[in-house]
Amino acid sequence: MPSKDEREAFDEVFLPHMAEAYRLAQWLTGSASDAEDIVQDAALRAYRGIKNFGAVNARAWSLTIVRNTAYSWLMKNRPKTVVFTNDLSAAEQQELEHEGPQGTRVETPEEIALFKADAEEIQKALAQLQPQFREVIVLREINQMNYRDIAEITNVPIGTVMSRLSRARQLLIARLGDRK
Amino acid sequence: MKMIASVTDNDELQLNAYCDGELDLASAAAFERRLADDELLRAQYARLMSLRQAFGSLPQSDVPAGLRARIQSTLDAERPSRASVLRQRRWSLQALAAAAVFGAVISSSVMMTIGHFGQREEVASQLVAGHIRSLLAPQPFDVASSDRHTVKPWFTARLPESPQVPDLAAQGFVLLGGRVDVIGHDPVATIVYKHAAHTVSVTTLRPGQSVSDQAIAGYNVRSWSDADFTYVAVSDLPAADLATFERVFSAGSPSPEVK
Repeated sequence: MPSKDEREAFDEVFLPHMAEAYRLAQWLTGSASDAEDIVQDAALRAYRGIKNFGAVNARAWSLTIVRNTAYSWLMKNRPKTVVFTNDLSAAEQQELEHEGPQGTRVETPEEIALFKADAEEIQKALAQLQPQFREVIVLREINQMNYRDIAEITNVPIGTVMSRLSRARQLLIARLGDRK
Repeated sequence: MKMIASVTDNDELQLNAYCDGELDLASAAAFERRLADDELLRAQYARLMSLRQAFGSLPQSDVPAGLRARIQSTLDAERPSRASVLRQRRWSLQALAAAAVFGAVISSSVMMTIGHFGQREEVASQLVAGHIRSLLAPQPFDVASSDRHTVKPWFTARLPESPQVPDLAAQGFVLLGGRVDVIGHDPVATIVYKHAAHTVSVTTLRPGQSVSDQAIAGYNVRSWSDADFTYVAVSDLPAADLATFERVFSAGSPSPEVK
């Protein structure tokens, strides 16, 4: 049974990051009600595991639990949405090479496809990304985490965070920016 | 994979790191010069920024009403129900006390000037705050070096009194570097070590100060003194490992040279 000190530790370590935890869960799953379940589950996991706190910092530690909880929740409830593969799919590769921002045609600054996207469009574009690209972009753009913390949370080297972030952005720009 | 256009993969990564504020000052300045000259790069920069704007304009969702309360009651259910009501009341008192401590931290410099009330705890809080801030920065130190002969002179150039910087790599604590923290209004030397995934900040204060061993915000604080300094170590290491650190640090410090 967790002790009184553990409850205090939980209050100090996890509670201050509730809003971020909720936001992360919401954007990873694309659903507000799923996010509530996930944060509640993650809080319980954090409480039970509060003795293990000490990875790097409270924020990264808390969000790591939320991220992992979100994935186990998705695996259980919506397994089709969580497909991890190591590389870009052939279609995405195609998209990057032929239609993406790195297309061979040199654009002048005036021609750059700048874009405005509303929440729904971004949500849709994010949902189309593979999970490992989606999570880095959410942690960076929504949670404003630095590379070191993103690496900690997603459990990959910083170099991998950098290349995933770069690819995720290229894919999003290709999808959001090239709409006519 | 074929090579495409002229924004290379490496440039693309640098551009992302630049937009994310992850380049150090020198690299960022160098990159800005390239950006000014390179039209393709600038075009890609503009795209990244408009993507960022799109994210920035998203509505920020708040924690739904009731979620916090539901979590609290889930956790209460983890405890035996008998004592929970009593404890509930004590928690709120503790929350009040915690708020008071937090307020004290904010006004710490004022407090330090006015008097010495609660000074010991102030110092510990400020040191933990310095440690946390350093972990949030790109690097937890101002001077990066695993060579104690670099770190020691760096302190000497900045502080009236600088500590010995022992090399403890053989004992499992790798020297990362040093930084200057400010306690009250005084700059103090902090040496940073790495032990596995853990960072240890050890700060040297004037001798004769006492800071009690404690845990603040999940970080352990441990203090000891010798004739020249009071040392305070802050880390997420378990208390027992921090005690080991004290032992190897004390053993590793040769007696300070006479100045």
